[in-house]
Amino acid sequence: MLRVGFILVLVFSFFGGSLYAQTSGSRNVSVTLPAIALLDIEPAGPITLSFTKPTEAGLPLSNPTPNTSKWINYTSAYGTSGSSRIITASINQTIPGINIRLQAAAASGAGGGTRGTPAGLITLTTTPTVIISGIGRSYTGNGVGNGHQLTISVVPNNYSNLSAQTNTQVTVTYTISSN
Amino acid sequence: MFTMRSQTNLYIIRVCCCLLIVLTCRQLFAQTLVVNGTHWNVPVPNITEAGNDYAGTYESVSNQITHNTSVPLLLGSAKVSVHYEPDPTWNSNLNLSIRRTSNGSTLCLLCSISGGTAYQPVGVTDIELYRIQAVLALASYSDIGIQLSLSGVSILIPSGTYNARLVFTVGGL
Repeated sequence: MLRVGFILVLVFSFFGGSLYAQTSGSRNVSVTLPAIALLDIEPAGPITLSFTKPTEAGLPLSNPTPNTSKWINYTSAYGTSGSSRIITASINQTIPGINIRLQAAAASGAGGGTRGTPAGLITLTTTPTVIISGIGRSYTGNGVGNGHQLTISVVPNNYSNLSAQTNTQVTVTYTISSN
Repeated sequence: MFTMRSQTNLYIIRVCCCLLIVLTCRQLFAQTLVVNGTHWNVPVPNITEAGNDYAGTYESVSNQITHNTSVPLLLGSAKVSVHYEPDPTWNSNLNLSIRRTSNGSTLCLLCSISGGTAYQPVGVTDIELYRIQAVLALASYSDIGIQLSLSGVSILIPSGTYNARLVFTVGGL
């Protein structure tokens, strides 16, 4: 009887220890990627568009050369349940007799992902108008030469509404939002 | 009466001696791995400039994880393997890599630890991280440094929180 007990003690001592020997372990890795909707216009600063008066009676105003110095940069990220994004533009005031127009070019330069599709030539009003749509998870790259180049122009729309003005400032507001 | 007591004492002494031997010898057969250190919450800086993507690659501190690993003499050598398990969600574009940054410390002069000092990608199936060779003694290493790297972090990955569990296992070769 004692011998049996002795053997059992030995067996449990040996294999019982093995049962508790730790042969694996773990640690967690966690990363959080937030939703992002960032937009800016490069380079900063105002642009000037000035009409030139005719030098010959009967001729119209000469339109200023469209400005192509501005670029839209954006970064867009959203979750699996999110939807694509749009960029709208609006102006804080209209100028009687004048159309302020904007056209975004296709994305170029650096960047990646599903960048947006330009809406074509838009006449800006005080109501936000979509200028780029279908922006997926993407980034355009930062700075001039990256993203969507903007062409901003002004043309007369009704001579009867024109009046002489100097230094009329118009602010264009761009907004990126979910579709 | 005296004979009975003597026999009992002798039996107890025999049991104690055998237990001592067995518990000592058990070290010759049992390999162990204790994983220490902290979970790694990858510190991804916010994007503050429109047009930019994430930097993409992030690295933990050199001893984010530490191992205490013992290999019995009779086993000779053993390897520590690692794989990851989504916990519960991971994105396959997030690439985890791992490397061993230190040998840790040991009292065994002839034992050796090798491999795993260069980053290697971690997948859902085991890869060998390092191996330990026991020579003439129990090879017990403590505070073996482990460093992690995460690459592929991008705007193009759907926003959300991703978790993976790195599972380390010690086993024979």
